[in-house]
Amino acid sequence: MMHRCYPALLHTAIGLLGTLSAASGAPLTFNTALPVGKGEFVFREQFVFIKSGDDPGPADREVEVLGAVSVLGYGINENLALFGVLPYLDKELEVTPDGERITRETNGIGDFTVFGRYTVFRDDAPGRTFRIAPFAGLKTPTGEDDERDRFGRLPPPIQLGSGSWDPFAGVVVTYQTLAFQIDAQASYEITTEANDFEFGDVARIDGSLQYRLWPRELGGGVPGFLYGIVEANLVYQDESEIDGIEDPDSGGLTLFLTPGLQYVTRRWIVEGGVQVPVVQDLNGEALENDFVVRAGFRFNF
Amino acid sequence: MKRLILSALFALFWISLSLAAGHQYALGVDGLACPFCAYGIEKRLSAIEGVEKVEIDIAKGRAVVTLREGASLSEAAARQAVKEAGFTLGSFARLPEEQ
Repeated sequence: MMHRCYPALLHTAIGLLGTLSAASGAPLTFNTALPVGKGEFVFREQFVFIKSGDDPGPADREVEVLGAVSVLGYGINENLALFGVLPYLDKELEVTPDGERITRETNGIGDFTVFGRYTVFRDDAPGRTFRIAPFAGLKTPTGEDDERDRFGRLPPPIQLGSGSWDPFAGVVVTYQTLAFQIDAQASYEITTEANDFEFGDVARIDGSLQYRLWPRELGGGVPGFLYGIVEANLVYQDESEIDGIEDPDSGGLTLFLTPGLQYVTRRWIVEGGVQVPVVQDLNGEALENDFVVRAGFRFNF
Repeated sequence: MKRLILSALFALFWISLSLAAGHQYALGVDGLACPFCAYGIEKRLSAIEGVEKVEIDIAKGRAVVTLREGASLSEAAARQAVKEAGFTLGSFARLPEEQ
């Protein structure tokens, strides 16, 4: 059963590579309701290293994924922004199926995700803003989903793409002041079947606090801000289905905590953090996440 | 003596620049609370015809718009530009001419 038990969150739009926003002051791991101005582009590149091991089963599986996730955002008007997300992935699986350690790997372009976000409520005041913005999108099967090696077809979670068209929707709320920013998001993704396999649907709730560490006092102009970040992601994934039958060794609940830093200037942002799973209540022998490292930059034009 | 002449020329240059610059307006921008957002406001305001320079003070939530000589800025145009950047115009005032 080589297709079972791997970290399927890699293949969902709102999972580990998901709906990163390119907008201003966005959290490290999810979206924000802050604006992308009319006619403005924002580009974000985030490098992601995901390590999963600590296998509860006998196969001693280990998965490492190195990704470069490119996000381009464009402001259609002051309320509506469109985002495209394209990951480049390098995946490696080490497993001991029959007493011999083997490595299976692939790399290339993953699944392209497109989504739109519309600000439905905005309350602006001097030095602060409060916004609510629903979003909806679609993960498209642009990544290769039939990669093979000398052992045969790679398991679905190790493929570059899922082969499925997966819609998702959610809402993000942002409260930002000159001293701090709070973002909260709820989202759901409906996964569909491809190649007789279907990843489980994903529901997640996210929260982020960004606190200005420096400068302590604001002078004139537009100084750079150094934010300390703490984020939490509560992610639930349903069981995968193989030929219409639920896989008892897949899905479950994970709570990630992410401490990080972000330096924000007028034209660019650099940021980084480590996503640590503090609670993992996974089904059966589903492979646990060890950690996720995220680092990247953004700029607007 | 040479130094004195150079200083006088430099002073004349700055005076001529000041005279050539147009009016200045102070715009209160509500909702502005991070540096990355400031660029969008600069970009929209700079796109208004006649605008020479936009300077933002994030702590005060204020954008000072300098116009080219002979140009003018309406409150409606400023409001529209700030709105398109995703923010709200809180106040609009023409600054007194520099002495």
